[in-house]
Amino acid sequence: MIEVTALCKQFEVRERRSAFALRSTTRRVTAVNDVSFVARDGEVTGLLGPNGAGKTTTLRMLSTLLTPDSGSARIDGHDIAQDRAQVRRRLGVLGDAKGLYWRLTARENIVYFGRLHGLAESEARQRADTLIDELGLHALADRPTQGFSQGERMKVAIARALVHNPQTVLLDEPTNGLDIMSTRSMRDLIRGLKDRGKCVLFSSHIMQEVAALCDRVVIIDKGTVVFNGTPDEALAATGLTSLEDAFVKLIGSEEGLFA
Amino acid sequence: MSDRKQNSMFSPTRLLLVARKEFSDLLRDRKSIFWGLFAVAISGPLVVGMIYFVAQSVTERIEKVTAPIVNAQFAPDLVRFLERGGIKVEADPADYEARVKSGDLDAVLVIEPDFAAAYASGRPARITLVTESSRDRSAPVASRLARAVRGWAEYVGNERLVLRGVAPAVARPVQLDDLDLATPEQKGSRMLQIMSFYALFAGLMGAIAAALDVTAGERERQTLEPLLATPVTVPELTIGKWLAVSGVNLIAVSVSLLGFVLALQVVPIDRLGLPFSFGLREYAGFMAVLVPFAFMVPAVLLAFGAAGKTAKEAQSSLQFGVSMIGLLPLMSFFRQTKAPWWDTWVPVNGQYAVLSKVLRSETITSTDWLAMIAIPAAICVVALFVFSRRLGDERMLAGR
Repeated sequence: MIEVTALCKQFEVRERRSAFALRSTTRRVTAVNDVSFVARDGEVTGLLGPNGAGKTTTLRMLSTLLTPDSGSARIDGHDIAQDRAQVRRRLGVLGDAKGLYWRLTARENIVYFGRLHGLAESEARQRADTLIDELGLHALADRPTQGFSQGERMKVAIARALVHNPQTVLLDEPTNGLDIMSTRSMRDLIRGLKDRGKCVLFSSHIMQEVAALCDRVVIIDKGTVVFNGTPDEALAATGLTSLEDAFVKLIGSEEGLFA
Repeated sequence: MSDRKQNSMFSPTRLLLVARKEFSDLLRDRKSIFWGLFAVAISGPLVVGMIYFVAQSVTERIEKVTAPIVNAQFAPDLVRFLERGGIKVEADPADYEARVKSGDLDAVLVIEPDFAAAYASGRPARITLVTESSRDRSAPVASRLARAVRGWAEYVGNERLVLRGVAPAVARPVQLDDLDLATPEQKGSRMLQIMSFYALFAGLMGAIAAALDVTAGERERQTLEPLLATPVTVPELTIGKWLAVSGVNLIAVSVSLLGFVLALQVVPIDRLGLPFSFGLREYAGFMAVLVPFAFMVPAVLLAFGAAGKTAKEAQSSLQFGVSMIGLLPLMSFFRQTKAPWWDTWVPVNGQYAVLSKVLRSETITSTDWLAMIAIPAAICVVALFVFSRRLGDERMLAGR
């Protein structure tokens, strides 16, 4: 279970005011502003928003990679700022960066992360075997990941994130760049996690995906939460029949369409 | 594994896990490893071989020197004297000035036409030594000829004094003797000092590709973010990566020294009057200097390589670190005065100085050894601290 309370995060950005200027000024921009929501076990929660809305920053704070400026969040009761080690053990994270070690095989990539999560060698191998089975990675398991396709890489990255069998799973745009077949198997995987009682929080800007998967949606725009509820509630609140239209209405512009 | 152990900020198990993974990952980068180690391995044989051929050709030319003499018939005594001294005389070389100029001949003796008359009447008889002084390789031959002619002149002069009943010592008010304190090892090591340079070079080359891979490479592959989301802590990553790169670097250093040792076994360098040995004592001395060095260089390179948000920034920053390390030994390479006391305390330069002492069979003081341990240790601590700060800096992830 994820409980997020009033999370805020600002970044310093550099700006150059004239073309090819050598001098730059820094300015603070707010990436996440007072974001609160709850994601429950056995549910899929969608974090929705146009590009640059603060989805990735929120997920990075939850996965303890960034420290919030203010506000707090708890994963299964463990505070993300105070109890990082416990939080990291409970989380499976497929973040914005999904890189693999090229020279290691798919299996080695998965086992390495299992070991880092504190699994014994035999345990990690067993988990890797199970995940390779589930994700249909048999033919690739012992090849270096260098030549893998986008979908194959994503599968290995997912397996790596789930190797320690985490209770809470954060997925940052897990279907980005995948073909239809891979997208479908990713959806099956997310449903499978839900059926096993896991808490899944995933970010996306693809409406069909959200409609097909989510029990709850949290729509954020420009760093703030503009809607928090079930997809049906979103439709009811806007009086519209398509989630996509509701989304556009809720964020108050058309920019979501180009996301 | 117990729960408490998992929570600790520093777990040796995870540290070793990171080190082992990075090390085997690095060794799988076959092409980088091959070229890195290949460059380092051939530098030994190449340097020793080059020194051998240079020394050999110099020795050969001095031993088999011939004296081209113009108008040799005017000075038959000189010709006989030279031939007794093992110098073959080539009478009347044609077109000698052009041939000296072009380097065909190293030096030519010209007996002046009035030589015989002057010699007979006891006046100084003139011989001209024709040389081309801007050509270094001719100098040993020219000076050998000059020495031979002076030797003959002294011999004739002494005989004349004796005939007149004067002791030759009267004409020699001062006797200048040379006492060269250089031991044979030191003379030999002057030529082979370049070896210290190449040993340090190996300790630098071995680390560059590896340091780049575990810093900039991690960014290029986008693997740092998933890695930092696991329970692994920044100190574990810092030390694990450092140990892995140092391991690769130690291999490079050992391979380079092995190359030198093997080359010196094969090449009969002592037969050329270069009494140089690279035995167990030298090997141990080199290792004692180079092992701390091999741990220090990766720490510095990692600190530089972790700077910057992109792989390219990291690479340029690392290159700066490489040139810093590469330039320092030039301090003593070009120095003409006696080394100051702090010479061995300057990193890299100090290593070079002590390696040279090892080759010259000089005693190395305990202060020197202290510098060889303390300076790398201090630099490692500082550099690893910087590296860990940069690895753990959240701006590295956020700022895109």
